[in-house]
Amino acid sequence: MKKDEASCAGARVEKLVELRLSKDGSRRSFLKSALAAAVTGTVASGCDHPFVKDLLQKHYKELSDEDKKELFQRIEQRTHAWSGVRVKVSDPQPLDGVHWGYALNLNHCNGNRRCVEACARENNLPNDPEIRYIRVVEADNGSQHLEHGTVNYDREQVPEPGKYYLPVQCHQCRNPPCVKACPTKATWQEPDGIVVVDYDWCIGCRYCQAACPYHARRFNWTVPSIEPDRINPDQGYLSNRIRPVGVIEKCTFCLHRVRRGRYPACFEACPTGARKFGNLADPSSEVRQIIASKRVWILKEDLGTDPRFFYFYA
Amino acid sequence: MSAGRLVLVAFVAALACEATHAPDQAAERPFAPTHEEILVEPRSHLLPTYPCTSCHDEREAQPTRRRLADYHRTRYDDLKHGDDAFWCYQCHALEDIDKLRMASGQLISFDEAWRLCTSCHGDKQRDFQRGIHGLTIGEWNGKKHRRSCTGCHDPHNPRFRSMTPEKPPAPVQSR
Repeated sequence: MKKDEASCAGARVEKLVELRLSKDGSRRSFLKSALAAAVTGTVASGCDHPFVKDLLQKHYKELSDEDKKELFQRIEQRTHAWSGVRVKVSDPQPLDGVHWGYALNLNHCNGNRRCVEACARENNLPNDPEIRYIRVVEADNGSQHLEHGTVNYDREQVPEPGKYYLPVQCHQCRNPPCVKACPTKATWQEPDGIVVVDYDWCIGCRYCQAACPYHARRFNWTVPSIEPDRINPDQGYLSNRIRPVGVIEKCTFCLHRVRRGRYPACFEACPTGARKFGNLADPSSEVRQIIASKRVWILKEDLGTDPRFFYFYA
Repeated sequence: MSAGRLVLVAFVAALACEATHAPDQAAERPFAPTHEEILVEPRSHLLPTYPCTSCHDEREAQPTRRRLADYHRTRYDDLKHGDDAFWCYQCHALEDIDKLRMASGQLISFDEAWRLCTSCHGDKQRDFQRGIHGLTIGEWNGKKHRRSCTGCHDPHNPRFRSMTPEKPPAPVQSR
């Protein structure tokens, strides 16, 4: 193979995409040529066009430190190119002897949704179409029939007398149905219990979304639109980096924060002190104290998902 | 800065019954929980903006319960703590209006208001010390700041105030 031919494989692929987008040429011929170009790219290891690199990118677990460094740089450059914001992509690793747990005091939660907004800010969630990881269910006191509740309550003041508020987000189940449903192993559970998604391996089939009994997963139907001034520059590869179109995303307990000793964004935003977060492996942590001394329950216990997210009254 | 500016409360005793982590074990686990210090946020630095003594120094204290029509009228109208049993000097010190008075007669700073509150609300004290009740920020495994009781509750009307919620989620669009 000629060297110049190899080096411009990436350019060829891009050209083909343009062609495809302008509706010239049939789908079949496009795929054929794209595949050919991809194969060419594989062979031509000298070709370092970002598009080819995207095409040939490995699964997160197979990435070497060198691969990661290059990949994170590529993401940073790409974000800078369209937004002008300098971000830092990293992948903090699970901590030894730490299993995350979340507890939420339903007596204190008053449905003010500060957690929802803080989460959106922290995790670069788009406003259009709106994606939010946390939904706050408003239901009648004395009832566990959440299906009669609503997440769309719009009130001047909360709490409304006679109602209680139950925020729902990813429960980071120990027995996660979403992980079992994924056909490409794009989602898995980390040793510290957080269920993560490799956005570059997600094919967007949404099986996991259907499998999740807590409705905790969100799909990017369009290219996520996020204003540059809302971009959070502290980005985790498996958590809050800006997602591409057509992939699933979810709450990760802000793993880029908690693995560095900080609290999740929703925790810090809660003005009522209803949210409690900590290490389930540490008997002196707040969550363990709660489990030991309060009446704690989990949502949809009968499904056997064994969540790490607990509700309690105190 | 006064010495009591930051009150370092060693709640460790209650919290860290597990604080007897063997040191070698801690070394094995670099992120082993420590719970070294929990700071209850101070309140007294808010006082100098309007010191009680600026008026009360010149007035004789009247410890009897009565209708307040002039000074502290809004406080009086809004006083909803412990039915009608409460009056100013159950908590505020007659001897030194810039201090609080425990049932034992001990005068304490506003920074330690939680001690006074929990002398009645013992159940809350237990939860507060364990980090179950109250608002904590900081690091899950390190330094923590805990809001004092009066940081969230108005002691004169301690029920948590209602709030304006953030906007509801956007309606789901059919595609």
